Amino acid sequence: MSRSAILERVRRCGTGTSVPELPQKLPEFPCYQDAAAQFQSALQAAGGTFLDARSAGTLGSALERVLQETGVHEIYWDGHHVFEKHAISYTLRDPQAFSQSRLLHSFHYRGSLQFPLLLNSRPYQLQHLAKISLAVSSAEYGVAETGTVVHEVRPGSGRLLTALPAAHVVLLNDSDLLMNHADLFPVLSPGSTGSMTTLITGPSRTADVEKTLVMGVHGPQRFYVILMKSDQAEKRHTPP
Amino acid sequence: MRKNQAGMIKISPHTGPALANATLQANLKNTVGKVLHVHQLAVSEVANWQELRCHAEQVKAHTLARLHFYLQELEKQIKGQGGKVVWADNAQDALDFVVELAHQREIRRLVKSKSMLSEEIGLNEALERERIETVETDLGEFIVQLAGEPPFHITAPALHKSRREIAQLFSQKLGMEPSEDVQQITATARTLLREHFLAARLGITGANFAVAETGTIVVVENEGNARLCLSVPETHVVLVGIEKVIPRMADLAVFLKLLTRSATGQRITSYVNLINAGRREREADGPHEFYVVLVDNGRSRLLVDPVMRQTLHCIRCGACLNVCPVYQKIGGHAYQSAYPGPIGAILTPQLTSIESAPEHPFASSLCGACAEVCPVRIPIPHILLRLRAQAQRAKNGKAARVPAEKWAFQLWAWSMSSPTRYSRMEALLRFLQKLFGRDQGLRLPFPPFSQWLRRRELPALAPQSFRQIYRNRKVML
Repeated sequence: MSRSAILERVRRCGTGTSVPELPQKLPEFPCYQDAAAQFQSALQAAGGTFLDARSAGTLGSALERVLQETGVHEIYWDGHHVFEKHAISYTLRDPQAFSQSRLLHSFHYRGSLQFPLLLNSRPYQLQHLAKISLAVSSAEYGVAETGTVVHEVRPGSGRLLTALPAAHVVLLNDSDLLMNHADLFPVLSPGSTGSMTTLITGPSRTADVEKTLVMGVHGPQRFYVILMKSDQAEKRHTPP
Repeated sequence: MRKNQAGMIKISPHTGPALANATLQANLKNTVGKVLHVHQLAVSEVANWQELRCHAEQVKAHTLARLHFYLQELEKQIKGQGGKVVWADNAQDALDFVVELAHQREIRRLVKSKSMLSEEIGLNEALERERIETVETDLGEFIVQLAGEPPFHITAPALHKSRREIAQLFSQKLGMEPSEDVQQITATARTLLREHFLAARLGITGANFAVAETGTIVVVENEGNARLCLSVPETHVVLVGIEKVIPRMADLAVFLKLLTRSATGQRITSYVNLINAGRREREADGPHEFYVVLVDNGRSRLLVDPVMRQTLHCIRCGACLNVCPVYQKIGGHAYQSAYPGPIGAILTPQLTSIESAPEHPFASSLCGACAEVCPVRIPIPHILLRLRAQAQRAKNGKAARVPAEKWAFQLWAWSMSSPTRYSRMEALLRFLQKLFGRDQGLRLPFPPFSQWLRRRELPALAPQSFRQIYRNRKVML
């Protein structure tokens, strides 16, 4: 059997040599006076767009700007945890919406956005997913060093909603903004809740043709991060 | 590995971008120049780059010395979260597993993201023999697959092709409107590959790292194709070389920083996927089956010797290719192996055997640029020298090539090991230089030196040695 053969060979080879210790401490990683400013510049360098919605009531206008730039009228939301985490008010038009595996979406006539959001839902199916233009999700963490956000698959949501559309918007609370990757990885425990965690930095890109940069190969062509105050509350509206 | 009829992998500078092919030389110069420039910028931005390299080296050295422990830990963690672990002793084991899986699920076409290991074991060819189509989804891989070529570079498979050549290829094979616009080339590939993704039932990816403590597979990418390969299909297979395991999640901070800056000059890539399992009960999508195939294929043999073992530190960034003067001239295809460049020159003969790839260790000028740039500090030139000795021993049973060469080095060693002998030898050479003249350099027009010097130059000696100058000095210091 391959398993025992490999392990036996590996064990034999390892014996007789001294084992170097694992280093106890990580090397120093950069820290910044203004983490948000560093996050913004790193994200922009990676081709992403940074929107500041830290003052109360500005989330709506930030999202309206995204709707205008992308020319899209419909937002798909990456599960109900997005509304809870960022205290976004909503009304359910569809009583089934929060049941398992539904795609939550809100329609925005002429690109205007008001709270509470009017939420509809669709079955979570590939044929619907493939047609989505704009998805909004919530970040577990942001990393100032590289302008990175961390997306985790949550119960009730999936991997594809943020991977397929032409545009992806991430909401990030400023209290979740970390300085660098040495702060991130020790606190990250992938697998503890979701089956997959993704570090996202800017739009999908390639430089495979003559090292010329092109945005939007297989994933989103446009990528936005909206930074919010964690205690900010668009008044939450419980469904009737 | 592309073996010839005698079972040998030969260095052949005349396949692909032959030295004389002007277009390919120009393409290479253009793209490699850009790569080196961004690499330089990305590395100079990090004040403690050397410290990061040492950290990574130490982690790798520790892991490889205790590999049996960490492999079992990884297996335990993956299994504990519902994944399946398959062990493959050699290429055939891994191929058999994938082929059988595809047959069982009645899959005729699968999607794949970049995996060096799949090139190493010849996965696409094996699947083709079973009439299973593999769709390469990384743009560069897609281009070389369309052209019927192997990848040219570890991280940039189509590095050698100009946009004009790619545009021609796309209009011939895909019916794209002739255009050299890179945007349009990319859009054409996106549209076509999107259809393949949405219909795919089996996705194959490689892995950059496998974290033992959490059972996490790490897939680093820019395009988002790996993300789709491991999200849409109902089955996800990861091919992992056994040397890819690292003990702790925390060290990823260091490895990612080294990898992305070395590979593409980016601070980080667009996506770093951390996968622990297939779809979980309350999740809306993801594969139902998650297989991790741990492949040895010659790797464990390298563990025997602590020096040669360092070859397995490699994180496949491709930086050593870009800086290598030999790679820059002969190109990636010349190495006839999945692993080109300096790392290929040490990896290929060790994964196969020195008898089957005896030329690889000699495809180097030993300038040392590869070791300097390597993010995990693999002493490539040192390993090359060891392999050269092995190649000679394999050829004629002993290390030295001809008796004359052996004597010359014995004479060299004898004269260098005492100050008196050294100055005597110097005086002798200075005398010979006076006798035969010194155009271009030192001339020794008698055998065996005349033969040896036919294609080499020796520097000329200064008229006076340092000792003589020091003895005759006018000024007291």
